Amino acid sequence: MLEFALSAPLESIELVGAREVSADFPWLSLSILFPLFAAFLVPFIPDEGEGKQVRWYALVIALITFLITVGAYLKGYDPSINGLQLSERADWVPDLGLKWAVGADGLSMPLILLTSFITALAVLAAWPVTFKPKLFFFLILAMDGGQIAVFAVQDMLLFFLAWELELLPVYLLLAIWGGKKRQYAATKFIIYTAGSSLFILLAALAMGFFGGGAPNFEYINIAEKGFGTSFQLLCYAGLLIAFGVKLPIVPLHTWLPDAHGEATAPVHMLLAGILLKMGGYALLRFNAQLLPEAHAQFAPLLIILGVVNIIYAALTSFAQRNLKRKIAYSSISHMGFVLIGIGSFSSLGTSGAMLQMISHGLIGASLFFLVGATYDRTHTLQLEEMGGVGQRMRIMFALWTVCCLASLALPGMSGFVSELMVFTGLVTDEAYTLTFRIVIAGLAAVGVILTPIYLLSMLREIFFGKENAKLVSETKLIDAEPREIYIISCLLVPIIGIGLYPRLMTDSYTASIEALVKRNLASVERLNKPIKNSVIQTTNITETRLIAPFIPASIEPSN
Amino acid sequence: MQSAADIAWLIPVFPLLGAVITGLGLISFNRTVNRLKKPVAIFLLTSLGISAVISYAVLLEQIAGNPPIEKLFVWASAGSFILPMGFIIDPLGAVMLALVTTIALLVMVYSHGYMAHDKGYVRFFTYLALFSSSMLGLIISPNLLEIYVFWELVGMCSYLLVGFWYNREGAAHAAQKAFIVNRVGDFGLLLGILGLFWATGSFDFQGIAIGLEDSISQGSVPEWAALTLCLLVFMGPMAKSAQFPLHVWLPDAMEGPTPISALIHAATMVAAGVFLVARLEPLYTQFPFVGLVIAIVGTITCFLGASIALTQMDLKKGLAYSTVSQLGYMMLAMGCGAPIAGMFHLVTHAFFKAMLFLCSGSVIHAMEDVVGHEPILAQDMRLMGGLRKKMPITSTTFLIGCIAISGIPPLAGFWSKDEILGEAFSTFPLLWGIGFLTAGMTAFYMFRLYFLTFEGSFRGEDKNLQKQLMTVANQEIDEEHQHEAKPLHESAWPMTIPLIVLAIPSVLIGLLGAPWNSQFASLLNPEEAIAMSEKFSWGEFLPLAGASVAISTAGISLAVLAYALKKLDLKTLVVDRVPQINTLLVKKWYLDEINEKIFVQGSRKLAKQVLEVDAKVVDGVVNLTGLLTLGSGEGLKYFETGRAQFYALIVFGGVIGLVVLFGVLGTPPN
Repeated sequence: MLEFALSAPLESIELVGAREVSADFPWLSLSILFPLFAAFLVPFIPDEGEGKQVRWYALVIALITFLITVGAYLKGYDPSINGLQLSERADWVPDLGLKWAVGADGLSMPLILLTSFITALAVLAAWPVTFKPKLFFFLILAMDGGQIAVFAVQDMLLFFLAWELELLPVYLLLAIWGGKKRQYAATKFIIYTAGSSLFILLAALAMGFFGGGAPNFEYINIAEKGFGTSFQLLCYAGLLIAFGVKLPIVPLHTWLPDAHGEATAPVHMLLAGILLKMGGYALLRFNAQLLPEAHAQFAPLLIILGVVNIIYAALTSFAQRNLKRKIAYSSISHMGFVLIGIGSFSSLGTSGAMLQMISHGLIGASLFFLVGATYDRTHTLQLEEMGGVGQRMRIMFALWTVCCLASLALPGMSGFVSELMVFTGLVTDEAYTLTFRIVIAGLAAVGVILTPIYLLSMLREIFFGKENAKLVSETKLIDAEPREIYIISCLLVPIIGIGLYPRLMTDSYTASIEALVKRNLASVERLNKPIKNSVIQTTNITETRLIAPFIPASIEPSN
Repeated sequence: MQSAADIAWLIPVFPLLGAVITGLGLISFNRTVNRLKKPVAIFLLTSLGISAVISYAVLLEQIAGNPPIEKLFVWASAGSFILPMGFIIDPLGAVMLALVTTIALLVMVYSHGYMAHDKGYVRFFTYLALFSSSMLGLIISPNLLEIYVFWELVGMCSYLLVGFWYNREGAAHAAQKAFIVNRVGDFGLLLGILGLFWATGSFDFQGIAIGLEDSISQGSVPEWAALTLCLLVFMGPMAKSAQFPLHVWLPDAMEGPTPISALIHAATMVAAGVFLVARLEPLYTQFPFVGLVIAIVGTITCFLGASIALTQMDLKKGLAYSTVSQLGYMMLAMGCGAPIAGMFHLVTHAFFKAMLFLCSGSVIHAMEDVVGHEPILAQDMRLMGGLRKKMPITSTTFLIGCIAISGIPPLAGFWSKDEILGEAFSTFPLLWGIGFLTAGMTAFYMFRLYFLTFEGSFRGEDKNLQKQLMTVANQEIDEEHQHEAKPLHESAWPMTIPLIVLAIPSVLIGLLGAPWNSQFASLLNPEEAIAMSEKFSWGEFLPLAGASVAISTAGISLAVLAYALKKLDLKTLVVDRVPQINTLLVKKWYLDEINEKIFVQGSRKLAKQVLEVDAKVVDGVVNLTGLLTLGSGEGLKYFETGRAQFYALIVFGGVIGLVVLFGVLGTPPN
């Protein structure tokens, strides 16, 4: 059991990024508590029951929350600092060691902005909701606060609470407003996520109590504890399952097509835009940042899982005939790049993972919104029941085309930059053997072929060709209305902005990512020191052998 | 004084701005903007016109001998990784800029006539401007990554334009096929670019070439790896320039409006692959093996395209296979290490092939008045014939194009094709043989197209034949929208003027590349031009040139005998004797079938199986465990009511586990 013992903390304090800047104004607390508090006022809004007043209220609240987070970014956040900023701290339950500790660094700040942005648009997307509108908007606003909290809190116990707090609204939103199989989907969702989040609690308790003394769950404290390798591996495995469900990682993904298949458009946007990113964020925050030595050993697995995600989900998406489920699987496929990026020991690759999360948050939200808007008109999600819709809905067709092109990583849009960064990061990553990199890059690039196959054939089946006479006679196919065009344009502005000039986004988190990667590289080196030849390279070789038969013919030497 | 090259970055920006403005207008004020046909056309023509003016200024400066310039800025960076973007102006780029803007402008003018009655007129012009912008951006890209960016963007424009008439099933499939086949090429290109970056730490052309040479000499990159990377990169040009076996998308892409076939699928975008290979010359010259592969691929493509073109009955498809074949010639030149010859053929071919396509558009436009808008009828040569009397300008320019492409001096095609064949003769004699044979086939099928379309008697009013053609294509004539047949007539001036303008370079531009005094070569590479003219001897030139003129004449004579004078009946002479070959050619070497069977059906089947595994195994395990643990058919319903208890149970178990963990840990030894 010696391995559980303490290992010396990393040599230089700089690597931990401990320099911390306190907030002069409680920006983050405000952005969490304001929508939560406002949500509790929803029952008191005078409303006829159709939601006409309450939706305006929700929109204003969501917009103010967005402005608060923007204010936090502009006024209190300095992207050149790699440590924690905007930090606030107050004892909450001292006996348990529970503290109200919030703060933001490069890992959380962009995602906080993404959350408040997507939520505001989701409220706008929820305009047609007339069934129990008060409850609906109450849940959306509560989720807003809960999700910002997930990204902003700096205490692991608090993180667990925020993580759970956001589950309940999603469950209810699915179970009450979902499609035909909503009960099944909601139950499956809650079993998967709640079940897996137990591992978070276990790991949090273990890490907080580690070393004896008063429990302390703050990330900074946990980072300085210096866990032994086996302890790290144990916690890492648990957390990987928990976050792997959320991200999701194949084979823990099966809740997602069901949940996404049944959700309404605004919930959909939140699920794809923000919830999946919580998994990626948590992997970076806990697995990569707090457990660097375990990360050094697990990273190849992450990369392999990432490739599996990309190819497996792209194939399932291609075979899917249900529009929502098709896009849901495409989300899984895109998350594979996040995994590869996190698993790479290069700041470029990890940066790419971060950008892929943001980019997919925007693109996924826009696609799911369009699915909802199309469903409102066609009243079917089966591809064979559509066809030739483009002639009546030209603007809708245009919006769909642009969003699909964004999703298949067309240059000039954010998805291209993030995937390119992940690829380049992986290829230049000297921590892995050359064979491993070749195989992984080759397989991941297969995704580059598969993505347009399923997206373009989907577009073709919906919009191209002769009009489906049955559909046209039974439904009213009106073109996109200004509200819908507005929502998509709001999402396209950052998508194209990042695509044209990625530093708009990457500059806001590069410093933190570089510090994180430096730390991970240090632990890789430490891992390699006892044995002369690097462990990570030997591990890789076995893994490479496992999948070697799949090498596509094109990367084999031709002579 | 500021030179034009300094503001060359504006060349792609103007059409882009034009496209963005009209595009936004289309989205926000659809009806109003759709009605503003003329203002939009004038606006976009002006924006492209400004680019053309700058391009000509740039070309003139380069001819005057200004040094190449390159300007860069940091686009993305992370850690030590810095990715610069920017633009480069050199003679090669300047030639392409002038070529693309000229043809794009002419095609735009032509489209004003061709698309005049189309509902999507404004959308079409917007796409055209967007394409021009991407193509111009590709030309001035200083590194591989930026090329890749624009490479994908031109691919996107091609997708949008091929699928322009999206209510046609054929167009929908063709657009998708074009994009995906190109993605297969891009797969290799992307991996190649990444690999070259790994090997050399650089994305720009010179940096890669020098870096790779160093790495190989130092032994840090094995030779086979370098070769693989070069070939991977070549997959990109193979797809984009429609080289065997990735050429399958180009003939299908003819579903797009004809001006697009002229601009994108004959003159500019498909030439981008050849252009990229020319850009990568410093890299490829290091590896003779790569050159050999390129030359072989080029030759196969060249022969394959020409052979299929022999039997095509669809006018546009015939021209499309001819394009495939001519692109093969260009690749052959690249493989022979003669990028100048390849680029020269690119330029001459761009002019006469664009003209030929625009002529075919003019013919189709006229035919549509007679047989209706069904492409199966309007493009089939069995329904044409005798159009020369009604359409004098179109038929004359088409004839000029045929002579030019057949390689009859002094028209453009002779000089460029002969230069390629000469290079091939001295490098790979066997490949020269195939290329030489193809030259004869080219002359034959081009004149076959000409005679079937423009000579003889008009067969378009034959209703029985129309019905027969539709039955073969498994379609029925739409009786309700039966077209009121109008008389044939020559197209309006916006369509004929570009034809006349393009005829001039088709005749004359070849003289710029006469081997004894090649102005074209002295612009691209002055040293080589001098070497060329010193090496030149009539004794070597005349036999080769005479041979290619002879075989072209033979091809033309055969076409005259068979189709104009009807002295030869090819059906009894050839088809009945060797029906297998004829079927092989009609079926396009069965490549479409193979593609459909193996890749399309195969991928569908694989995807279905994976989905089944997902639903039955991966998801099934989850549902099954749910059932087993509960031991009741109520299944998941239980969880709804009993969720809290179930959850509490697990928490309890977890806490116990934690206690055990702590017992093991005890107090850490510190």
